[in-house]
Amino acid sequence: MVEAEAAGLIAIGAGLAVGLTGIGAAIGEQSIGSAAIGVMAEDPGFFGKGLLMTVIPESIVIFGLVVSLILLFVF
Amino acid sequence: MGLFKTPAYAYITARVRARKKKLIPKDTYPKLLNMELPEIIRFIEESEYKRDVDELSARFRAIDLLEHALNRNLGASYRKLIEISRGQVNYLIVEYMRRWDIWNIKTVLRGKYYGAPEEEILDYVVSAGGLHYPDLESMAKLESVDAIITSLQNRPCYQVLKDYEGGMLNKIEDDLDKLYYSRLLDAIGVSPGEKLFLKFLQTEIDIKNLKTLFRLKRAGVEREGVQDVIIPGGLEFKGSDLIRLAGLSFSELIHSLDGYSYWSSIADVVSEEGTSLTEIETKLDAYLMNFASRISHYYPLSILPVLDYVLHKKIEVDNLRIIARGKELKLSDDVIRDNLVM
Repeated sequence: MVEAEAAGLIAIGAGLAVGLTGIGAAIGEQSIGSAAIGVMAEDPGFFGKGLLMTVIPESIVIFGLVVSLILLFVF
Repeated sequence: MGLFKTPAYAYITARVRARKKKLIPKDTYPKLLNMELPEIIRFIEESEYKRDVDELSARFRAIDLLEHALNRNLGASYRKLIEISRGQVNYLIVEYMRRWDIWNIKTVLRGKYYGAPEEEILDYVVSAGGLHYPDLESMAKLESVDAIITSLQNRPCYQVLKDYEGGMLNKIEDDLDKLYYSRLLDAIGVSPGEKLFLKFLQTEIDIKNLKTLFRLKRAGVEREGVQDVIIPGGLEFKGSDLIRLAGLSFSELIHSLDGYSYWSSIADVVSEEGTSLTEIETKLDAYLMNFASRISHYYPLSILPVLDYVLHKKIEVDNLRIIARGKELKLSDDVIRDNLVM
């Protein structure tokens, strides 16, 4: 019973790690993406840089994913 | 600023910053001064104004072509800002751009008052505000000033225009300016960026009033005449200051300005004898432009970068016009340079 509870809590923690970092990244990306599209509308040559800037907040989701994998497979 | 308002500001401010980067840099103006008129026209034809020059080249030639291309480009650039913005920033831009409605209404009324032909009136309008070009065309087609005023009865400016009782247009022109600023000041919200925008507008009102004071005092107009044309709502010049300044002579006015922050920008061109009003006005415009540039970095996601672009675009068009007209009239480079806002 206790082991099952612990496994459940680990799974919730793993889910939160990915979910909350995803929300955080989305909040960051909404402004960066809008600005990048704005600049691209004026200067299409900015596409590469704009795309790179937009996905930078995604790195936080990778950290979240790593934490969730550690939670699921190490503990 | 709300979480969901941020992207709207991020989009428009990124676009205006990219647009500002395309404006002609300051160090190009001295190069333009060294060119002859045909070279200047060619330079402008190859710049951001290319499309406007190409489309108007069948109707106009040389300096007239340039003048119309600049006006058209200015109008199109400002209309674009209205089209690409959303929410509160769009509301503020629309309200700010109503100054062009006022400009156009004044142009059409004056043109009609003095009996100018429809085409000539339309040559001087800049379709950048709420009144679109077809609206202005139909206004210019009307037969009299009264008919134009009646056609505007669904517009906010009608509350001023309805008081027109015939004769000279000065009174309603001044009242239109006052109405424009009072509406704009009321439209501004409470966010930090908008508070700075308010400060900018109050500074602009001060500078407009200061220019008016200089012009009227140079012409020897008495206090009563000055009071009627002063726009209320300035930052440093409050009602009582303006009434006091309006009662002074030109030389007393110069000495009284020492304590105001605008003084440092005009101190080196002001003297009791031989002060050039054009130089003073150029310096005051430069002060306003630099003020807008400075505050545009305080709140990057606000109306301020848009305002900075709007002002720089207008000054670019004015500078190009001054250079081209100056060259056409064979003015010396020094005279033209003194008139440029940089």
